[in-house]
Amino acid sequence: MLSPDEAADLIEAIAARQDRAAFASLFRHYAPRVKAFLMRGGTDAETAQEVAQEALIMVWRKAASFDRGRASAATWIYTIARNKRIDLARRTSRPAIETEDWLTVFAPEEEDADKSVLAGQTYTRVKELLGGLSADQLVVIQKAFFEDKTHTAIAEELQLPLGTVKSRIRLALGRLREALEKDES
Amino acid sequence: MSSHSAPEELLLDYAAGTLARGPELAVSLHVELDPEARRTVERLAAVGGVLMEDEIEAALDEGALERTLARLGDVPVEPRPKSRPVPPRRPGFEWVPPALARHIAPDARWRRVIGGFEEIRVNLPGDTSHRVSVLRLEPGHGLPVHRHVGTEYTVVLQGGYTDETGNYGVGDFAVGPGSEQHEPIADPGEPCIALIVVEKPIVLTGPFGRFFNPLVRRGLI
Repeated sequence: MLSPDEAADLIEAIAARQDRAAFASLFRHYAPRVKAFLMRGGTDAETAQEVAQEALIMVWRKAASFDRGRASAATWIYTIARNKRIDLARRTSRPAIETEDWLTVFAPEEEDADKSVLAGQTYTRVKELLGGLSADQLVVIQKAFFEDKTHTAIAEELQLPLGTVKSRIRLALGRLREALEKDES
Repeated sequence: MSSHSAPEELLLDYAAGTLARGPELAVSLHVELDPEARRTVERLAAVGGVLMEDEIEAALDEGALERTLARLGDVPVEPRPKSRPVPPRRPGFEWVPPALARHIAPDARWRRVIGGFEEIRVNLPGDTSHRVSVLRLEPGHGLPVHRHVGTEYTVVLQGGYTDETGNYGVGDFAVGPGSEQHEPIADPGEPCIALIVVEKPIVLTGPFGRFFNPLVRRGLI
């Protein structure tokens, strides 16, 4: 296992001295997870592996943009995997340069930096909070994230009315938001 | 906090990366302009991070790491960006947020549309199911009363407007279901400029409807 601090150290080692051993450790931990994430969305194993490798190469390229005060390593690598999945879905059309911009979500303007300074700690809290959700709530969130599913498709699969799926998502997200806002205030 | 934020499940779809380009552009501008929406997306990304971290590992092919390491020689570690690059803005186009700039042609001009507003079409390759444009309304002017067959997403980029659901300022987000009629009127002050993403097609129901609809169907407005 890799703790959030250890993962952040590894990314910083790449940024500071192009540390290949650090890259290898990150790769061993995250490439199989990114691959699993893509396969859940219906990507075949071969493509998922290729895209996972591309995602980790992006981690190498963008290592200097990582800021552990703004996002955890897992969150940051998740955003890269998300962008790669979008690129994959749009492969037939022009390369989606805009998906890279999503990384700048974690490099916001100075004015609200003070309010976002806790973003790095958010990860640990989110982990605890997700553990506290009901199975019903967790499953809709997981499907929305990993299976690339619209709310309508989730409703059909779970044989639930669309309104129920939406309210479960809202309820789960509402609980997370309330808990996190309480932490931040 | 912005008085009109995007619904959280839409921000979730944005964080999960499952939106079509049109709605994605609308949400990305909202997130860029509204710090509260940005914080929500950061939290949702943390949810994605936790879920990915907890994912059961998929086995990699043998030699995957070695092959990837071998490619790193050609990939530089890019220096840390000093600050977000702000593209130069044309005079009169100061309202264009960076995320929108690349979708607006360098020689784009406002085109007057029958009904008292002006428009710049935004071309998003790969999204044929949404009609994306920037509209400019002079203060006190309204859009023709219309209803949508599909969902409409609006982000205010300059000025503001008011309709039956309230008052919308810069960064505010509105998403309307197809069944509702609404009639936005631009607020006093500077002209109201907004990005509008509409699931095709729209049908106008006001006095101009009969006149507009054939044009709408042909994609002329």
